[in-house]
Order: sequence, then structure tokens, then C-alpha cells
Amino acid sequence: MRISRRQLLAGTPALAFGQPRRPKIAALATIYFKYSHAQHIVDRFLEGYGWNGDHHRPPMDLVSLYVDQVGDNDLSRERAARHPSVKIYPTIAEALTLGTSRLAVDGVLLIGEHGRYPRNEKRQTQYPRYEFWREIIQVFEASGRAAPVFNDKHLSWNWEWARQMYDDARRLGFAFMAGSSLPVTWRTPSVEMPANAEVEEAMCVAYGGVDSYDFHALETTQCMVERRRGGETGVKWLEAYRGEHFWKAWEEGVWPRELAVAALCRSHTLTPSRAGFNHDFPTLADMQRLVKNPVAYRYQHTDGLMGTMLLMNGLVQDFNFAARLRGRRQPLSVQMYLPMPPARTSLANFFSPLVNHIEQMFLTGKPAYPVERTLLTTGLTAAGVESLHRGQVRYETPHLAGITYRATQESTYWRT
Amino acid sequence: MPKRVAILASIYRYLSHAQHIGDRFLIGYPRAGEWHKPDLKVVSLYVDQKPQGDQSEERAKEFGFTVYPTIAEALRCGGSRLAVDAVLLIAEHGDYPRNEKGQVLYPRYEFFKQCVEVFEQDGRSVPIYNDKHLSYSFEKAKWMLDSAKRLKFAVLAGSSLPVTWRLPDLELPLGCEIEEALMVGVGGSDPMDYHALEAMQCMIERRKGGETGVRAVHMIEGGAVWQAGREGKWSARLLTAALSRSDSPQGLTLADGRTQDLVGSGALPQLVKNPAAYFIEHRDGLRTTLLMLNGAVRDFTFAARVKGMPGIPSTQFFLPPTPNVTYSACLVSKIEEMFLTGKAPYPAERTLIVSGMLEACLTSRLQGQQRLETPHLAVRYRAPRLPQYPRE
Repeated sequence: MRISRRQLLAGTPALAFGQPRRPKIAALATIYFKYSHAQHIVDRFLEGYGWNGDHHRPPMDLVSLYVDQVGDNDLSRERAARHPSVKIYPTIAEALTLGTSRLAVDGVLLIGEHGRYPRNEKRQTQYPRYEFWREIIQVFEASGRAAPVFNDKHLSWNWEWARQMYDDARRLGFAFMAGSSLPVTWRTPSVEMPANAEVEEAMCVAYGGVDSYDFHALETTQCMVERRRGGETGVKWLEAYRGEHFWKAWEEGVWPRELAVAALCRSHTLTPSRAGFNHDFPTLADMQRLVKNPVAYRYQHTDGLMGTMLLMNGLVQDFNFAARLRGRRQPLSVQMYLPMPPARTSLANFFSPLVNHIEQMFLTGKPAYPVERTLLTTGLTAAGVESLHRGQVRYETPHLAGITYRATQESTYWRT
Repeated sequence: MPKRVAILASIYRYLSHAQHIGDRFLIGYPRAGEWHKPDLKVVSLYVDQKPQGDQSEERAKEFGFTVYPTIAEALRCGGSRLAVDAVLLIAEHGDYPRNEKGQVLYPRYEFFKQCVEVFEQDGRSVPIYNDKHLSYSFEKAKWMLDSAKRLKFAVLAGSSLPVTWRLPDLELPLGCEIEEALMVGVGGSDPMDYHALEAMQCMIERRKGGETGVRAVHMIEGGAVWQAGREGKWSARLLTAALSRSDSPQGLTLADGRTQDLVGSGALPQLVKNPAAYFIEHRDGLRTTLLMLNGAVRDFTFAARVKGMPGIPSTQFFLPPTPNVTYSACLVSKIEEMFLTGKAPYPAERTLIVSGMLEACLTSRLQGQQRLETPHLAVRYRAPRLPQYPRE
């Protein structure tokens, strides 16, 4: 059945005129265990979270839960038992319709992160975000009504499917948000990219793996550079470097070393390079000794801006951004700070601003920031994987060249 | 010619305060997105104790300075007159006895006094940074600052908490009217309660009229802390706000990762086996409370009710992890500023009053948890106009 955008928009908004009713939310998760993304996100809807100097309880009810994989460490059953408003459904369609024949919720959380899913030959984990999405769209279409959706992390690992997700949301006209916590978490120091800045080069120095934390690092950079003059214009090409190629590129100055230095000077987790010193700045030889398998993505935006992502496992365990701005002598640099459990904290509170933005979307029907950011970073993540798979060659990205959007005027990172 | 610095340390060992502060003067530190190398030259070191892992000789050899057997010799670099332009006094860590109040008797006053003697004998004085509180004894602490006034040298002192990042970046407006304030801290007494009190002090000193001194203190421990909460001696609303800033709730969060309303759920008494409350009555009428809540959380948070500000302004004093402990880089940038300009970026009276209120609280505890009048703590000062923690 094909339905028009107008028909869908005619569906019941979460907030009708008169008495506001509490929106009903469905959560679709791959798996739900301690410190999984589903636990971090769904728990905040169920248990509340620290926000603006209070223990905030979202003004909505999480009523249904679908969990794809239930193992020995599952917490979804415990949560449902303790929160009688929550019912666990065996299928996505039932979670969305609450066992009826029509969409019966006002917002959807799609959390396809963690769980055992196969990896393809490019080493991408095939999390079923698109597969979940297809089922959501089928219910929306069959019901003649849609509801806002939040997709955790990047869209699909498969670019075509990711694009399809974006196009579906546009076609049906529902609010769609996605992405990482990095753009919305605390910053040390608490600084923003000035609106309309002329950004000449941007970099994120981070850690983690390919098809994993590379996405977070790309979102870290993107949430800053999208504020530049002219807004986002898309990306023309990407080239990945790894191992020896990485160090050769470093030495040849393929990316600006002064930005790497600025970013590393924002880290709180710089591995000491000398015994007996707690915090020294590494030489190149130190870095080569400490970082066993470095990865870089170097990419050019359509308007010429160059971006670089460095994954330097062994050297840092945080996400640090630096950019060269026209008219500014020193790079602008900052850390997007993740209070990461279990080593440093017990709560991954970077999910709190993420959940707060999702709540706002569920209440207002408007995304807090453009999903095009995540469409682009999804494409960049896949392009990084592709470049590495093809032997670290420059990979042209005409499919990303047309992704244009404007950043929100208001900052959306955690400041309150 | 770079200014010359003497380091006086209780011990110099990996991850001791002397090492992570002192080393930054030797190899630099991150400041505002740069690896900054201070234009200062460490020329001498005195270490009081050389435990296993001592690094004093190793550092002296690598960085070309001398370890002297006495403080006077370190200040005179083996000569007959004061031969340095600044002193870094770090008497934290090392093996020192505790008194009956539970205070570790770090020899800060004793070190400082020897500096003053050299300054007097040689007719010249230089700025001193004193790490952490001035002394376990308010009388000694006061002598330290009085001597600095008399000999006209700058003193900076205290904890890193006032100068580290805040989550969120909250600075109370200068001249605001604070109705009540509450701090949550963790760790042992007397090192960590001191940090917590000074963190609270750097916030409340910005109130209208500035700091005017402390009239009385009262410290209680155990179940009496919860009873005091029920009686309204401290505010559950402020505690909720402070704990809403914590990233480290214990108990059920450790068990299965869930978020918790630790106050609303009533979980605190189960989690905190030995709570302590430090009640501070300021001379201008402001009442503040420090709750040491070991077992509930593992970070330092603050909340206040401020006239005209919506909600409950609250924040976490962010202590980045070991080994980098980047908060000490924030502190070193302030020490460097004083060494270069001869002016303390914020008043050592903050540390003086906190040294005194901590000592008085511990006396209150020793005397059967009785309220204690503190006429000696009539310390008046004004907060620095500009924020002193990193904002860019």
C-alpha cells in the first residue's frame, strides 16, 4: 500500500491540542545487557537520569520492547518485570502496534548496537538496523501513520540501505534522528565552533576500531565543521591509511601535524611514553612504539575543506578535536568528553544529553539536529572501510558529494 | 634569563604530587591546546624523605639541577644568599604521623618557616606555591600568610579542584545571593574532605559581600547524618541536585548499569556505611554543608540555591584519570602565572579559611561531635573577578 506524506502527517501527533497526553514509546534493540547501548538508552526512559540538577523522568511511557537476542546476561526481562508499563513483544510489528493491527506508539527507539551479528569480508558488523527499519516502515505504511524514530549510531553498514532509510523518512515525512553521543556530550573546555567560521582543516584524534569508533570520531568532527560558513556541502573522496602507510603519511605531512598536537593536548588519557613520567608529550618514535595499528581517514568536502580522522590505539582513549580557522593563530581544540564506564565511571552519562534530545523529538515531532549529519558520517564510515578493503586507495564518494545541510543555530552539546 | 625555581618536596616519587606538579615545570604540560613549556628553570630540589621509588636524583641528573640536603641550601643553591625566584612547596605524600584529630602532620608550615627564615636573613623574598592546605593547624597557617604579608611575597595555595574543568561549566555570578550550598565528596579524612571544602569555597566566595569568615562549625558522623537530613539541617533537594551531576553512583548501578535517583530511592543509608556531615556557619549567615558519602559515589559535586537563578545550579568538579591527572596541569598554569607575575591569581585566604574550617570540623568531631564556635576564623577576602578554571 502506498500512502502519501500528507496522509501520514494527518496521523495523530504526540501532542494534540488541549490536555497533553504522555507519548507511548517503543524500543527495538538487538540486545539488552549491562553497558550495552540499549541498556544505556532505554534505562534512561525507565529509570530517569540526572539532568539540570534533578533526577529527570521523561514525560512519556516506554510501553513496548523488542529484543532480538536474549542471552544469559539479558536485563530486558528484569526491566519489564520491574516496570509494569513495559511489555516485551516477540516481533517488531507487535512492539509497534502493541499487539493490534495499527501503529500504537508515538516514538520509536531503534538500537541496533551490540549483539552477535556476522561480519562481512570487509569486517563490517552487520547490525540489523536496516532490517529493523524495514519492519518499522511496513507498520507505518500499513497504519497510515508514522512516528518519530531515533536510530542509534550510524544508519546501516550498507550505504544503499542507509540512504534508503533516509529517503524513507523523507518520503513519509516523520522526524528522524540518529548518531553518536559524541556531538552532544560534555566538552573540556566547554567551547563551540563559532557559527560561520572559515574552517581550513579539521581533525579528530581518537581510539577504537574500524566500523566502530571511527564513526564516533567522524561525528565528533562533523558536529563542529557543519557550523562553517556555507554549511555542509558533502564529501568528494576519502583515503584511508593504516600501519606503515599511516606513519609515512604522518612524516610526509599528509595531514597537519600541528592539529594532531593540538588534539593530543586536549586528551586526558595520553599514554606516558617514558617510565616514571605521568604525562609527557610523545615523539614520533614514541608514537610509533605505542600505537601498533594506527588508522587514518583523510577526506575532502565538496567546498574544499579537508578532514582527518586518526585512530591511535595505545596512545589515547578519548575523542579530541582540533581545527585550523582562518583569522585565528592557534587551532581551536577541544575534547568531547565521555565519562566511560567501567574504568572511569559507573554511568555512561554521555547518553543523557542524547536521550534528552530524543525526548524533545518525541514531544515536538522535530529532530533536535539534522539527520543528514549521520547520513554523511555513515557514508564516511563505509568509505573508510571501502578504502581500507581496496588497499588504502583514494575512494571517490560522488554519493556523498550532494549531502548538504545546515547546522542548528543553537548549540546542542551538553552545557547545562 | 628564565626565573629560577626551587622545589621543596616531602617525597618525589611516581604519581606523588611533587612528581606530577614538579615534572610539568621540567617537561611542560598541556595548556589551552598546546604543549606549553614554562619559561622557568628548576635549579634546586629538597626532598624530606627518599622512599623506595624516589626519583629526586634521577630528575636532578637529567634536568641539570642539584638535590640539596637542607631547605636553606636548596633556596640558596649551595651559596650564601637566596638564589631562586620562586618556590614550589609540595608536602603531600610520604610517611608522616597523624594527630588525635586524624590529621596527617605534613610539614608544610615547617618548610614554609624555613623559607621565611632564609628570606629574612637574605633580605629578599620570592613567591611560594604551597600545595593543598597550608597547615593542619590554623594558627600555623595564619602565621604563614601573615609572614607573606609582612615580607611582601605572593602566596598561592590549595587544591586542584577549584581550577579543574566543571561539568557543566558553571561559575556563580560575582555578587550573587546564595541561600544555601551543599558539596558531596568522597575519600578519606583529612586529605579528601579538604579538597571538597575548598571546591565548595571557590563557589560560595563569589557571593554578595565576599567571604567574611566562619562563625561556627559542626561535624557529625554515622546515622546522625541521616537524622540531620530529616530534620532539615541539610537539604535533600540540594543533595539530589549534586548527585544528579555524578557519573559514579554505586550499588545497583555497579550491579546492572542502571541510573538511580539515590536520594529519592532511599538507597543512601544502605550504600554509605559511615557518612559524615560538615556544617559550616558563615559570619554573614550563609550555612553550607559538606557530605562525605563514601560508598554512594566516587566524584565531587556541588549544588546551591541562588536567588534569581532558576532551578538548582549544580556541577561536578571533574577529576580526569590517572596517570595524566590533567587537573594538575590546570593548577600548574596558575602557579606559573604567579611565578612570572609575582601576583597570586586567586587569594590564599581561601586556603587559609578552608584549612581552618577543616581543622575546626575535626576538632568538633573529636569533642563528641559538638558544635564549635570559631571566632578565630574571621577571615575576610574577595573572590577573583574572573573564573580561574579552563574555559578555552
